[in-house]
Amino acid sequence: MNALKVALYILVYPGFLFQSGFSTFLEWLDRKVYARMQNRRGPMYTGWAGILQPIADIVKLLSKEDIVPAAADQRAFAFMPILSLAAVFTAGLYLPVWHLRSFNSFEGDLIVVLYLLTIPSFALFLAGWFSVSPYSLLGATRVLTQLFAYEVPFFMAVLTPAVLAGSWQISKIAIFPWTVAGHWWVIPIELIAFVVAILALQAKLERVPFDIPEAETEVVGGPLTEYSGKKLAIFRLQKDILMYVGAALVACVFLGGFGALPQGGDQASIGVLGLVFGGYLGGVAGLLLGVVGLLLKTTLVVFLLSTLRAACARIRIDQIVRFSWRYLAPWSVAQFLIVLLLKAKGAV
Amino acid sequence: MFKKLIKWARTKSPWVLHFNSGACNACDIEILAALMPHYDLERFGVQLKATPRHADVLLCSGPVTKQIAPRLKRIYEQMPEPKAVVAVGACACSGGAFRGCYNVLEGVDQIIPVAAYIPGCPIKPEALIDGVAKLLGKA
Ligand code: SF4
Repeated sequence: MNALKVALYILVYPGFLFQSGFSTFLEWLDRKVYARMQNRRGPMYTGWAGILQPIADIVKLLSKEDIVPAAADQRAFAFMPILSLAAVFTAGLYLPVWHLRSFNSFEGDLIVVLYLLTIPSFALFLAGWFSVSPYSLLGATRVLTQLFAYEVPFFMAVLTPAVLAGSWQISKIAIFPWTVAGHWWVIPIELIAFVVAILALQAKLERVPFDIPEAETEVVGGPLTEYSGKKLAIFRLQKDILMYVGAALVACVFLGGFGALPQGGDQASIGVLGLVFGGYLGGVAGLLLGVVGLLLKTTLVVFLLSTLRAACARIRIDQIVRFSWRYLAPWSVAQFLIVLLLKAKGAV
Repeated sequence: MFKKLIKWARTKSPWVLHFNSGACNACDIEILAALMPHYDLERFGVQLKATPRHADVLLCSGPVTKQIAPRLKRIYEQMPEPKAVVAVGACACSGGAFRGCYNVLEGVDQIIPVAAYIPGCPIKPEALIDGVAKLLGKA
C-alpha cells in the first residue's frame, strides 16, 4: 500500500505527470505574456488559445529523426538530457505542493533542491562539450561562466528566509509567515532577496536578458546546437520543469508557499487567501485552496520572469558577471545582515 | 491514433530556419515581417530557429550562388527528417532577376528537393503564410 502511494506520488502528483502538465502550461503562459507585450497574439490555433502548443512541440520533437554527430561522444551525448531531466524532476518532488510535508521531505531538503537545480547547468555544459562543435563549445563555456555569476547570489538569496525561519526544510520555511497570526510581515522584509532570487533564476533559466549561452546571433544554438529529435525534446521538457521548480521554490520560500496553520497539525489551511477571506479553513477545502494558492503564486513568479524577458535585451557575458558580483551579491549580503539584525533584536 | 497525434503535432509546430542563399535581401525582410507582430507567424506555432538541427522547414530565399550551393546542401543534410524546403521568392523558384548570370544557379531545386514554391519579387508576407499553410495541409 505504502509503495503504491509513493509510486503515485512519483508518477502522478506531485511527480512526473503533474510536473510535465503544469510546466507546459507555464511555458504557454510565458509565451502568451511575451507575445502580448510585443503586441502579438502568440500561439492561437493549437487547442484553446494555443494552450497545447508546448505539448505539440514536444510530441513533434519526439517523432523526429535523432541525429548524433559523428564526432560527438555517443554515450555522453545521449546521457546528458536524461541526467538533467532526472535532476529537475527529483528536485520537484521535494517541493511541498501536496501536503505540508512532501512525502520525502526532511530537515535540509532546501540544500538538496538547490544542488539538484545546479545539475542541469552542468549537464548543459557537458552536453555542449561532448557535441564537439565550435558553437556548442563556446556556448558550453558561457554556461559555466554564467553559472559562477548567478549561483552564489541565488544561494544566498534563498538561504536568507531559511535563516529567518531557523530551518532548512522548505515546508517549514513556507509556513513560517503563517505560524503566528499577523506574522506575515516577514514576507515584505525579504523583498531584496526576492528580487535577487528572481534575477538569478532568470539567469539560471538562460532567458533574456541572460540568454548569453544560447545567443543565436553569436553562437547559433549554444550548447544545444547539435541536439535534435528526442534528446532536444527532453531538454525542452527539462527547461519547462526547471522553470516550474524554480518558480515554485521561490514561491514557497519567499511568498509563503502553501500557507498553513501548524495548530491544525498536518491539516492544511490557507495563507494569503485565508487572510483575504478572513479565517483559516481546515480539511479538504483548505488543502485544495492551499494547492491553488501555491500554483497561483508560482504562476505569479513566472509572470514576473516573462515580464523581465519581454522588457530587456540581452547583455554581454562580462556584463552579467560584473552585474551579479557588483550588485546581486552585495544586495543579498545586505539582506542577510538585515535578517540577522532582526533575529538578534528578537523581532522574529 | 498514435499516427494521428504525431501528424497533429507536426502540422501544429513547424519550426523554420531562414537561409539566405544569395537573395537581394528584400525577400529576407519580408520573411522577417511575417514573423514580426503585424503578421505574427507564432499564432500557427511557427518559430524561427537558429540551428538546422532544430528546424523542420527550411525557408530559402535567393537563386543560390555558386559559392553557397555546397553550404546550402550541407545545411539541408544537417536537418533531421522529416523536413521540407520552401523556395521563397522568384529567385529561389527559378533564378528570377538573376537568371542567366554567370555566378548563380537557377533556383533552389537545382540543389535540394523543394516542397513549396512561393513566387513574388519580393514575396508578400501573406503569400508566405499561405504557402506554409498549404504545405502543412499537404503534410
Ligand atoms: S525574388 Fe526579388 S526580392 Fe526576392 S530575393 Fe529575388 S530579387 Fe530579391
